[in-house]
Amino acid sequence: MTEALLFKDIDEPGLATLDVYAKRGGYESLRKAFATTPEDVLAQLEASGLRGRGGAGFAMGKKVSFLPKGTIDKYLVCNADESEPGTFKDRELMQKSPHMLIEGLIIASYAAGASRSFIYIRGEYVHQADVLDAALAEAKAAGYIGENILGSGHSLSLVVHRGAGAYICGEETGLLDSLEGKRGNPRLKPPFPANQGLYQGPTLINNVETLATVPAIIRMGGENYAKLGTETSKGTKLVSVSGHVQRPGNYEIELGTPSREIIYGLAGGPPEGREVKCWFPGGSSSPVLKQEDLDLPYDFDAMAKAGSMLGSGAIIVVDDSTPILDVALKVAKFYRHESCGKCTPCREGTNWTVKMLERIDAGTATPMDIEIMASVQEHIIGNCLCVLGDAMAMPIGSLIAKFRDEFEEHIEQARARNGLGAVYA
Amino acid sequence: MNAELRADIEAHMALYPDSRSAALPALEAAQRVHGWCSPEAIEEVAEVMGVTPAYLAAVATFYDMLETEPVGKHSIYVCTNISCSLRGADALHAAVRDAAGDDPEFNVRSFECLGACDIAPMASVDGVFVGPLTLEDVPQLLDDIRAGRPVLPDKQLSTRLVADPNANSREFPAHPIEVGSTTDASGGGVSAPAQAPPAESVGGEGT
Amino acid sequence: MPRPEPHTIAFTIDGREVQAPENTMLVDAAKLGDVEIPVFCYEPKLGNPVGACRMCLVEIEGIPKLQTGCSTPVKDGMVVHTQSERVKVAQESVVEFLLVNHPLDCPVCDKGGECPLQDITFGWGPGKTRFVEEKRHFVKPLALSEKIAIDRERCILCYRCVRYSQEVAEDYQLVLLERGAHSYVSTFDGNPYVAPFSGNIIELCPVGALTSRDYRFRARPWDIEDSGSVCTLCAAQCNVSLTVRDERVLRVLARDHPEVDDGWLCDRGRFAYPALGEGRITQPMIRDGGELRTVSWERALDEAATRLKRAGAQTGALVGGGATNEEGFLLGRMLREGLDSPNIDSRIAGILPLELHRALNEPSLQAKVSDLEFAHAVLALECDLVPDAAILDLRLRKGVRRHGMKLVRATAAELLESSSELVAKLKEAGEEIVVLWGERLTAGPEGARAAQALLDLAGTLGIADTDNAGLLEIPAQSNGRGLREAGALPNAGPGLSAIDEDTPGGASGLDARAIAQALSEGELSCLYLLGADPLTGAADEQDRALWTKALANATTVISHAMNLSDAIREHADVVFPAGAYPEKEGTVVHPDGRIQRLRPAVAKPGESRAEWQVIADVAARVGLELDVLTGGMASQQLFDAVPQYAGLTLEEIGGKGVRPHERTTAVAS
Repeated sequence: MTEALLFKDIDEPGLATLDVYAKRGGYESLRKAFATTPEDVLAQLEASGLRGRGGAGFAMGKKVSFLPKGTIDKYLVCNADESEPGTFKDRELMQKSPHMLIEGLIIASYAAGASRSFIYIRGEYVHQADVLDAALAEAKAAGYIGENILGSGHSLSLVVHRGAGAYICGEETGLLDSLEGKRGNPRLKPPFPANQGLYQGPTLINNVETLATVPAIIRMGGENYAKLGTETSKGTKLVSVSGHVQRPGNYEIELGTPSREIIYGLAGGPPEGREVKCWFPGGSSSPVLKQEDLDLPYDFDAMAKAGSMLGSGAIIVVDDSTPILDVALKVAKFYRHESCGKCTPCREGTNWTVKMLERIDAGTATPMDIEIMASVQEHIIGNCLCVLGDAMAMPIGSLIAKFRDEFEEHIEQARARNGLGAVYA
Repeated sequence: MNAELRADIEAHMALYPDSRSAALPALEAAQRVHGWCSPEAIEEVAEVMGVTPAYLAAVATFYDMLETEPVGKHSIYVCTNISCSLRGADALHAAVRDAAGDDPEFNVRSFECLGACDIAPMASVDGVFVGPLTLEDVPQLLDDIRAGRPVLPDKQLSTRLVADPNANSREFPAHPIEVGSTTDASGGGVSAPAQAPPAESVGGEGT
Repeated sequence: MPRPEPHTIAFTIDGREVQAPENTMLVDAAKLGDVEIPVFCYEPKLGNPVGACRMCLVEIEGIPKLQTGCSTPVKDGMVVHTQSERVKVAQESVVEFLLVNHPLDCPVCDKGGECPLQDITFGWGPGKTRFVEEKRHFVKPLALSEKIAIDRERCILCYRCVRYSQEVAEDYQLVLLERGAHSYVSTFDGNPYVAPFSGNIIELCPVGALTSRDYRFRARPWDIEDSGSVCTLCAAQCNVSLTVRDERVLRVLARDHPEVDDGWLCDRGRFAYPALGEGRITQPMIRDGGELRTVSWERALDEAATRLKRAGAQTGALVGGGATNEEGFLLGRMLREGLDSPNIDSRIAGILPLELHRALNEPSLQAKVSDLEFAHAVLALECDLVPDAAILDLRLRKGVRRHGMKLVRATAAELLESSSELVAKLKEAGEEIVVLWGERLTAGPEGARAAQALLDLAGTLGIADTDNAGLLEIPAQSNGRGLREAGALPNAGPGLSAIDEDTPGGASGLDARAIAQALSEGELSCLYLLGADPLTGAADEQDRALWTKALANATTVISHAMNLSDAIREHADVVFPAGAYPEKEGTVVHPDGRIQRLRPAVAKPGESRAEWQVIADVAARVGLELDVLTGGMASQQLFDAVPQYAGLTLEEIGGKGVRPHERTTAVAS
């Protein structure tokens, strides 16, 4: 691992203040960016190969380039709704280095020609939102936010907007509706936010980590940044490791690092005497992988090839002490709770899945219920308005596919507990 | 209605190109005043914002942090999502719930992932994240709230260093991030961690 | 505002090449190839598609994921499959998901037999269920309002009613509360949903979740017949479909006409029908010994004729807004030709000089209803749409919301005193301007001046020479425009023709107020009321006082009435039972000039007879043979008498109506 880009001396006292941040060279990237044209900045972002760190992994530079040119009002929205179970990397960044995010956001707005920006932070992050508000006040006072920033001719307003507890607001169009003061229901796409987003205007939406990486890219140059990581997954990535590991927490890794090194080397692996039963490589929405996948490089492509995804970079480790049904129930209940209810397959499918899992748990299910449950997952995938339905159906589908024996065993045992007959002759 | 609440809501409305964007902060502000998003609270917000109460009721019932039934003054959200539950969150939640009993001061809820799996199992106490919690922490947690003290100061997330061993090239002491402070680089003393936001910190942008 | 100009493209659906206007949504374009794509949430009247129910998933070649046909605009060369295995699985699964929480209580559901969920389940569903869990439960049914019941268990959360409240009625009273599988439709804090257009949600609901409390458990689809007509309860004249069972109207539904109502109905139109049957007069009556007593038709007709003959030219007549063109026309003939009296009026506002009436009726100045939606600006002048022409209120909202139309409201005083400011405000928005004006603009002593000012404004705005621009009058009475055109005016004959001084009754007559005056002063002795009640219809207290005196002073009052109002009970000497609009045949004229046809859905109650027939019978007894033996003959006579209507037939008017001046243009070109 080369030197940390985002986490370098992240715990330095006072880093959240403009003073300390500036002493460490903060806002120099902004000055450097302003010395060039927005097109030059965009070219650096494209050259960096930076892919969105929020979950979808879309090339950031390309996303910026999708915004229409011209003088119409454009918006930049930072998605700080970090709600994917297992993910807590943005929290660490915002709490400890808020100016890095603000600086990245200003540079991105310059490249995109956006004049109004918002940080949509999940309501539960009270402390982090307070930190951001304080940093924003400093940035305003120093002239980094406002009219004609540093004489560049670029102007930007910024509002820290607090959510109020709804996972779906991490979905970009649900976030936009929520930011407009509505229920956070995802919108039908097209139109895409780049054309019709916030207040119907062209809108660029980026994750906290994505924007926070921008100052580093400008500092070192896009091409140098692109030397980190793998061919298709450039740069470093914050990984949140949680669950059954000895040192849960955030780690900045170079993309392509072997997964085992992250789970065992950095996070210490499961407690003594335990084995990895399965792991979610990208938050609870990602299909689970097993022990045999531990040597896969941790990057976008390797995870996709293994049938899962890098997602938000949240690794949740489950060891062999936990029944797989418990995992499935936790996951399914979460998505049922968070389904916005707008589209049919997600609203009803998450609800139905939980009911079937509960019956398995209660010992009133038969193996046919596993078939039905698997089929319900297939009927959800690809048929929903947004990705939330798939976010349940993919991991649940993977759990059924990879641990069918355990489900069947559970059904047998639970039936026996209830004094019901065995269903296998 | 409360003039401060009105001013608070109006300040939020002024921040956005479309004042309806202030719905969430306005409801949050009303909840702080009324204790929950009661029909009266919703009607007050609706009047200031120029929208129908039904519009705001639809919004309020969508979000987990907006209470549409009367609740205790101090919220204790125990995360029971996957990462915390793998580390004992369900038992923790039961223990907190049992210990709080029917004390009307407390609003104990099992909550979805709060984004602090590194301190699992954990809870958010009036917005302050504490963890990892053991069952033995529960009595003190409630006592601290009752006494109005900082909750479990040693277990507050804001004092934790990042887990990544490669992150910090130097040794740093665990320290809280003080909001709005101008702490100089050398000062690293542990001071009182930030509590739930006072009303005036929310509308900071407009003032 | 330019209306969309369709450009035709070709696409392929299920192996068939189909022509369709480009960018039509696939579900609509598919219909052009006789392919039905099932939908629940899609309803273009509610605004942009939301793609929520997922029922319309189709496969489009070149796009990996299934797409919602409701939100995918059709493009040239697109290849669409709606019958592939993938699509079938998706459709079946959506139906299965929708039925997860639907109670399947079809045998006791009002919607049964006319339910899109039933139809789509049958057509596209899996035909079996695998769901064995408990369904969700709600207290049911609840009264959402006095008129509407809500059954939340049946609701499939398609959002139609909620979108209607938010996007069409714009009252924002109906919302979804809670989230996910717990979501439900509600108002704030359990308040009733009270709004002028609330009933439309019943028709929008694709299941039996929202039902009419009046209609609940009253009929099954196989017990009823539907009959198309036109609601004449206000000037908007919405097209309706009347649900009839056993000679009774049990329900009123919208019959979508984009140039009239856009498919909506107001609550008055939708829910007034039970009242139309209450307390009806079903037999003729005459005053005998100070009391009204029922008598035979012969007796009543003779009594009326005797009294009319005695009064002769000292007769005045008022025609109410519910009267058809034919009724107004025939009554005008009886007065002018049979009694030598020119004293007939249908305007509350009082008459205008004939040249002003004519100028305002000029075809080049006539706006049509859809212009309200697409104009750059609309000036609403002295009109209050919700009471006067309710459904146009929704059209204006649509114009503002969807097309950015600018709405300016003004009073008569503003028109008279500061019209240049109005012009500036309107012109800011663009060239296409519609002036929506209420008849009361031309009421009172300043009426003629205001009418002239309106014409001047139209001139300044260049309305006559601009497409999608025009004037649209909201008459005070439902068929106000038709009755004027039919000659129920004291200063004009049919088609606003000049009065021929040499013919009998050829002098200019008295208008409504002058009739009252003359009756009070003994200059007139007889008052003929065709569906008019001067007391309930009085413009103000002064008017009411005048009419009270007039009625008391009149020697004879003859009335066609549905109910015994105070005025009729106290003053009428002869009462003929009158018909409600579902019983009537004939024509009426919409404010934009469209002649529309009333068709009887139910028989008249008791011994009631059609008004045209009663007028003809009375006329015959005063010595004037009107030569009408059927309603159709009455219409034909009207079409022959009004120059603009020349050559019209009832068949041509049909179910959608005809605007005569458009027709003339069409014939000429």
